[in-house]
Amino acid sequence: MSDNELVNQQFPVKVEQPGGSGNIFARVFDELTAFCRSRSLFILHYCTGCGAIELPPAMTSRFDMERLGISPMVSPRQADILLITGYVSVKTLKRVILTYEQMGSPKYVIGICSCTVNGGMYWQSYATAKKLNDYMPVDLYIAGCMPRPEAVITGLRQLMENIRRGEANGWQDYYQRYDHYLGHQQRLFGETWQTPTDVIAEAKHYGLFSNETLGEHTKLLQQHQKPLEALEMRLGLDSKDKVEP
Amino acid sequence: MSETHLPVERLSIILGEFKDVRVRKRGDRRTRVDVEPDALPALLELLKGRSGFVHLSAISCVDWPDDDQFELVYHLWSYELQLLVSVHTRIARDPGVYVSVYDIYHPAGFFERDIHEMYGVFFEGAPDMEKFILTEWDGPPPMRKEFDSEAWVNDHFDWQNYRPDWLIELEQQGGGIVIPPDEQRFSRRGMQEPDDES
Repeated sequence: MSDNELVNQQFPVKVEQPGGSGNIFARVFDELTAFCRSRSLFILHYCTGCGAIELPPAMTSRFDMERLGISPMVSPRQADILLITGYVSVKTLKRVILTYEQMGSPKYVIGICSCTVNGGMYWQSYATAKKLNDYMPVDLYIAGCMPRPEAVITGLRQLMENIRRGEANGWQDYYQRYDHYLGHQQRLFGETWQTPTDVIAEAKHYGLFSNETLGEHTKLLQQHQKPLEALEMRLGLDSKDKVEP
Repeated sequence: MSETHLPVERLSIILGEFKDVRVRKRGDRRTRVDVEPDALPALLELLKGRSGFVHLSAISCVDWPDDDQFELVYHLWSYELQLLVSVHTRIARDPGVYVSVYDIYHPAGFFERDIHEMYGVFFEGAPDMEKFILTEWDGPPPMRKEFDSEAWVNDHFDWQNYRPDWLIELEQQGGGIVIPPDEQRFSRRGMQEPDDES
């Protein structure tokens, strides 16, 4: 945890850390926060692959995910957990990263199915990204093809436990080692890859800016980064789109 | 002799009009027709216009690298005859250019676009040869036989090093997954040591 110590020296913002001082009351509120956080989680209702078919049984009456305090949510802004259920093609991975960066911190990623671990049955596919944790921090993997709802519930309970103990720190890792993740993304998507989210500014905001946040890859990003523009709006068909001559 | 022929007769008459056509019956409802590439559009035109093969189910492409050819298969269905005719033709692999049949069958636009990006065949006269499914792909056409998927994967992706404790224990006892490196199903790059990330 030398990064955190470094950050604490540079910035006065408090960073939550597990373990700690001798005073047993010092971290009471931190533990309370972590406990409450682990008991009310929203899953982003965005499912990327075939493993998503195991979620309806996990959510509905038999396994009833909501008794754990976990329920689906449609928008990334309100969600805490991003489930990557199954293979991520390169095309999907871009959208997944966009979605992940839109989620408010703290945020957690669970990779479900063998495909997220090592490509699964698509290990030889030219389009499927292997090793999801190269591109975004994964807090927990639930392996299997596909994992049954019991396994999903067990994985979620494990995540809750990790959050309660303050060990699910993937999102902090994304800010602290953004250059590492961006490097892998650039390797796959090309050097002009850019997301609308300013992760570096967010890292400063959360007090998680470390000496690995910036690097050669972020330097490359800042060279070509363009500010956001409003979406172009078109009405009617262009002459190119017309079918009939 | 009546002017109106039965549809099957019309089909045989149409096929008889072409010299280099080879017709093989593959089943009760399947007929395979092999035709030279320059005669194919005319044949499709006649099949659609005079024999009721109004439905183009698909165009498929087969790569024959040994013959240096692509085989294009036009699957035509007639609701009237309840008959599937697959019209096969072979074109040269290099430069891999053929004429579009979009004017005859409009659904061909999608199939040709798909074949264009998967095999690199260019269809002249097609309305749109832009990217279709592989919109963010910049490699070679991936369905060609010479495309080495495994090499591409090893070049662009990393593998997770998965060596759990129980596997290490098994290997120490002389067991485990013992496959010589040259027989392994996927060639891991360099076979790095296990990460100590966790």
